[in-house]
Amino acid sequence: MVGEVQTGLLQNSGEIPDSLSTELLALVRGERVRVFRRPIAYAVSPDRLTGVDCHLASASGARVRGVGTVLSRASVTGGRLVQGSSQVRVTRGTSNRRLAWSHYMARPGVVEVVGKARAADLAGGFTLDAPPAESLDLGAVSARFVDVVQSSARLDRRAPFRMARTRFRWTAEPGEPDVRLQLRGDNVRTLRLTLPDPFAPGVAELCEDLALHDWLLTALIEIVRRARPGSVARPEAAARLAPAIDHILHLWMPAARVQDSLLHVWESLEHRPGFTRQWQSLVNRVRDHVTVALLTVAGGDGRSGD
Amino acid sequence: MTPVNATFGEVAAERRIASSPLSHVSIELGHLYMEDFEAGPDRLRQQFRRAEPWASTARRSWQERVPGGRARVSTCFLIDDYFSRFSTPAELIPVIVETAADSGLTIDYLARESACARAGGVEPAKLVEDRLVADPPVGTNGSRPPARETGWLCNGTRSPVAGVVQAMGVAQKWRPPAQNAKRGHSVFVDVELWNDDDGERTWSCPFLAAVWQLLRLGMLRDDGRPPVVPQPRGTTFPDDWADLPPIIRLVPSAAPFAAYTTLSVLSSRFMPVELAVRTILSQVAVDAEVLGQVVSRSEDEGVPLEDELVDRLSYVFT
Repeated sequence: MVGEVQTGLLQNSGEIPDSLSTELLALVRGERVRVFRRPIAYAVSPDRLTGVDCHLASASGARVRGVGTVLSRASVTGGRLVQGSSQVRVTRGTSNRRLAWSHYMARPGVVEVVGKARAADLAGGFTLDAPPAESLDLGAVSARFVDVVQSSARLDRRAPFRMARTRFRWTAEPGEPDVRLQLRGDNVRTLRLTLPDPFAPGVAELCEDLALHDWLLTALIEIVRRARPGSVARPEAAARLAPAIDHILHLWMPAARVQDSLLHVWESLEHRPGFTRQWQSLVNRVRDHVTVALLTVAGGDGRSGD
Repeated sequence: MTPVNATFGEVAAERRIASSPLSHVSIELGHLYMEDFEAGPDRLRQQFRRAEPWASTARRSWQERVPGGRARVSTCFLIDDYFSRFSTPAELIPVIVETAADSGLTIDYLARESACARAGGVEPAKLVEDRLVADPPVGTNGSRPPARETGWLCNGTRSPVAGVVQAMGVAQKWRPPAQNAKRGHSVFVDVELWNDDDGERTWSCPFLAAVWQLLRLGMLRDDGRPPVVPQPRGTTFPDDWADLPPIIRLVPSAAPFAAYTTLSVLSSRFMPVELAVRTILSQVAVDAEVLGQVVSRSEDEGVPLEDELVDRLSYVFT
């Protein structure tokens, strides 16, 4: 399995209600947008398919052709964050030539390799820093799903702060459980999972959840960096930290819908690098700073610095 | 303390897909268009007379195939009320039913072609439009949105527009179109799905015929429910096509309308239309859960089905 999740801040000044999320995500007529309200508001579009016939990146540089469909969806979490997620299950083809399109349509979300390929070679290729330009581009497909939501005229385009989208590329191969997460430049993250059942339907949801929390952490780090607490006047820094309190702190809800059998992946990432540990430390820093700033204002002391 | 595993669910978060009752085969005994109607009653009689041997052969072969011989076979007939309207249900339906009976045929279900475009509050054609997944030419890696000519669907790469002058003033040479899954040579098919002249959408005959096949295969859902459900017939038929339910069940004891497979007995003038239908159906993404339901039911019955939807369709062109 390979996939890419793009995560970004919804281009709207405030949180959007479930009813608007439902409207934005109605990408297929006759198909329901699923809406979860607990433990956090989450709405997800119906799945859509995109046909592909192209090279698959491989670590060895071998030329591998894949034909089939990419399965994608868009989602809105907490009325605030938008995600576009695409995935394919790569399987060995039944033939060494391209078949009629109806063959691939009977296997939604599957890309068949025409010829031979090794799973590890393809997983390595997909998580390369820069896969060849002509190879399968799940990022572009996911980006279009984010764009469809972001371009809605129903959004006021006045986001409370600017934050780049993150690109979370993942692969899941069969084998002894193993988790490898890497932060790369340009807001790219790669996750290589080895699981006893890499084709379980919950794997993509797990990766979407990890991508969401990685975005939250990245955004909070960035907001704190921009606010420069300790370097600028307290009220000013507090004002710059306020969007974090207003818009993202309440969105941290690890593994909200992750299947029990995959919880160990989250747990291992909590151990190292320790997502929640870092998040909690940043949250405390933000709250402490704002509290001190408020106390200072109440005490009539507007001096700068800590 | 014994640990307790809590279960929690939210209705709005669920996807419920109703299953359709299914026959083994749905036999279409014919289409009726204005031109057939104008050609007089003999045209209809001839159509039924030609269809009868094929219908009974199909019935017999399913009886042999199904364990216990209890094959569920339903028959249907389609009347065009979309591209042209003629006669009235009150006048026409009894004539069709009697003419079929003269050839030893029973019509179980009668459908209006416009039902494929709109049936009550549902627009089946739009459900299909949103489920089209274009057959990708070699080199399609997802980086650009699928190339699309609005209202058209093909099975390959179109020929470049003739006479286009590129930069540097060099006229582009003609290049042939190519079928994506060609074997040696191409059979390139380009199908018009609709036009929006005068601001109003008119679906093409092949597109509606593709919707018709999907309805007969029980593959469409609107919010989890079948978009068109056959209604029982009244004691009389109305004077206006619009007052007739989209699909009516003429025989109360008929086997289900939708089926695992379809057989269409048609005049050979429909051959190009059906090629177009197959081109369209090859690019429709049917809901995976619906597909799965049908496959598991057919396997439970001991009648394995073909993977590909187009392989569940068969034809007799007379």
